[in-house]
Amino acid sequence: MSRSRQPTRAEVSYQPRSYPADRGTGPLGYTSKVRVQDRYKVIGFISSGTYGRVYKAHGKQGQTGEFAIKKFKPDKEGEQINYTGISQSAVREMALCSELSHQNVIKLIEIILEDKCIYMVFEYAEHDLLQIIHHHTQQPRHPIPPATIKSIMFQLLNGCQYLHTNWVLHRDLKPANIMVTSSGEVKIGDLGLARLFQKPLHSLFSGDKVVVTIWYRAPELLLGSRHYTPAIDMWAVGCIFAELLSLRPIFKGEEAKMDSKKTVPFQRNQMQKIVDIMGLPTKERWPLLTTMPEYSHLSSLQPPLSAAHHHHHHQHQHHYQAQRQASGGSHLEKWYYNTINQNAGGAGPAPGAASLQSLGAEGYKLLTGLLEYDPEKRLSAAAALQHPFFSTGDKVSANCFEGIKTEYPHRRVSQDDNDIRTSSLPGTKRSGLPDDSLVQPRKRMKEN
Amino acid sequence: MAANYWESTQRRHWQFTKDELAAMRQRLEDEDPGLVQSFPLPPLRHLNIYFNQQINRLGKRLGVRQQAMATAQVYAKRFYTKVEIRRTNPYLLLTTAMYLACKMEECPQHIRLITQEARLLWPTEFHNQDTSKVGECEFFLISEMNSHLIIHQPYRTLTALQADFQLNPEEVSLAWCVINDHYMTDLPLLYPPHIIALTAILFALVSRPPNASSQGSANAAAAAASSGLSAATAALAQAQARSAMNAGGGGGGGGGSMPGTPSLTPQSSSAGGYGGSDMSSIAAMDVKKAPEQRMGKVQRFAGWLADSNIDVTAMVDCTQELISFYECHEAYNDKNTREQVNRFMKARNL
Repeated sequence: MSRSRQPTRAEVSYQPRSYPADRGTGPLGYTSKVRVQDRYKVIGFISSGTYGRVYKAHGKQGQTGEFAIKKFKPDKEGEQINYTGISQSAVREMALCSELSHQNVIKLIEIILEDKCIYMVFEYAEHDLLQIIHHHTQQPRHPIPPATIKSIMFQLLNGCQYLHTNWVLHRDLKPANIMVTSSGEVKIGDLGLARLFQKPLHSLFSGDKVVVTIWYRAPELLLGSRHYTPAIDMWAVGCIFAELLSLRPIFKGEEAKMDSKKTVPFQRNQMQKIVDIMGLPTKERWPLLTTMPEYSHLSSLQPPLSAAHHHHHHQHQHHYQAQRQASGGSHLEKWYYNTINQNAGGAGPAPGAASLQSLGAEGYKLLTGLLEYDPEKRLSAAAALQHPFFSTGDKVSANCFEGIKTEYPHRRVSQDDNDIRTSSLPGTKRSGLPDDSLVQPRKRMKEN
Repeated sequence: MAANYWESTQRRHWQFTKDELAAMRQRLEDEDPGLVQSFPLPPLRHLNIYFNQQINRLGKRLGVRQQAMATAQVYAKRFYTKVEIRRTNPYLLLTTAMYLACKMEECPQHIRLITQEARLLWPTEFHNQDTSKVGECEFFLISEMNSHLIIHQPYRTLTALQADFQLNPEEVSLAWCVINDHYMTDLPLLYPPHIIALTAILFALVSRPPNASSQGSANAAAAAASSGLSAATAALAQAQARSAMNAGGGGGGGGGSMPGTPSLTPQSSSAGGYGGSDMSSIAAMDVKKAPEQRMGKVQRFAGWLADSNIDVTAMVDCTQELISFYECHEAYNDKNTREQVNRFMKARNL
């Protein structure tokens, strides 16, 4: 790009020259010092979402390894002629990723601001939990090895503890956002919704009205809590643990959409899914329950069916009475043991493979500690890491693939769109309501 | 790390020595001596004051919180260590810094609103700017800051420590004003936020309660500070002597540069050094013994410093910088400064 410019009258008094730093605030436009296409060779397109697109790339200037380049569309639809300001979520992600450094959080390599677009270059991870879970649902359906689950959970919690001790809430933990490298290292990714929570200027509620993909949303959020805490991430971690065990989202509710007035509706269906397994929350176990803004809606929910996980009935001979119980007690324990036992016989793990039964009672205790209704009683990341689940039984490996023969399929990289600079898609501003369109190319298979 | 100063990009990339800072600025001027000669600028101190006031004016128009204004101040300072002022429209840069700081501090303002307010505030200087210029300048600003956007401010340390030092409301607000004032200097680029906060607390402790405007302009603090200067110096000297004895050949007062010993980070306010019972007896003292009580607090503060790993040398320097700033502030002339800034802008059509 040419940097020559017409000297203005006042400059004639001295030798006019080009200004290397004259980018942006002078009469000349901003140009990046570094150009994406000089630094990286894009080898394919990975995924797209509301924020923009992700590409896989190699370094062109001797950088080792592979990279995932996240390209943010400018904060407006259509072709960009003018700068319109960077979205707050991109600002957050840029700021936080620049500060964070931990083996279980995806590593930022560099940020390039070029041609009205933001390119965030991350280390590449071959897998993610959504893809790993999906692989195990393929026929014959077979559970994830217990040692893998244990390692994934430990690394995931380790990353969470790091984020939380640094006052960062992730706010959008779900299998698609948990990356796994080919050497079995778990990396928490997508900090687009993450925020600092140390003495925020406003209540965390005031910014983005709704956070966390509905299936992983903590009950206090569903009940309208305004002052939430790291405990919301821990609920999501509990849901992910359950999903690693059963290969299905444990609370797979349907999202009630925002109405035209942009008021957030009570997520009745999602709350009901939680109640179906966990029972109705009580103020005895959760003292602040009655102070929740949406508390009144709870009375309209059905107490759980005694058959907590009726969707498993194909594999089970148990015939629970489909009868509403008045007690509203938790079925989580039953859910857990049914889950870890269900593959013990028949089309279970390959001969010689360890059964989920080896996770034993400690697995249940960890799960119930994470899926605790009361956010104050819910396990913190630090406490969960100290849980006997990790100190008993098989040793925790830093490589979640250690000792397993499964070759997980590599991330699908399409060649449809290899031009990182020109590709245009209807990018819209991230509304604070993340959805699964973030993983569109590898959409969750319809179950059953 | 995001909320850990010791691991932060601020400590690793944006804390300079005075010599480094001077060399960076010299390099910028050397890039184009002709430009520098054609457009003389006011002394840097005066420019700093001027830019600070412009950000505060814009911030007040927008009703933005102090924390966001402070972050904008630091953004502007960082930017101008990388880019020669005469190549920019400072009003555009300051507006952009405010726009970005508001997003970062979670109190976003619409780009159109900020641009509009800037145009009303600086009708001639900002007349040919629009939202797309602000958006473009945002790229420039972020790029020059290497996307290091999280700023650790001294306000948090002050808030965390006010109970520990039994600061009364006047002392807190005086310390708060000193922190506000330090954004008119290079101090945010020179010292960690806790050093600034502790220096501000010391200023507050040695000052007579300001009779005048408790709004706490620089002048109030200045008058107060110079009156208590000898006390401050004495307290710091005492702290230095005691910490030298305590250290016994160790790293002495160099705590600030030892990342392994974060004795006082913004979020850990509990650094010990005195018993809680002493403090409560102070609190119980008769209010009429105020001067005595104040000196007691200073002594206690000095003792606390000596027992901590705080870099007292840095505090001494920080104190001197502030004193000389307050002196220099007297000679500041807003009109001259503005005219000189606007001259190069107009001549260069920025």
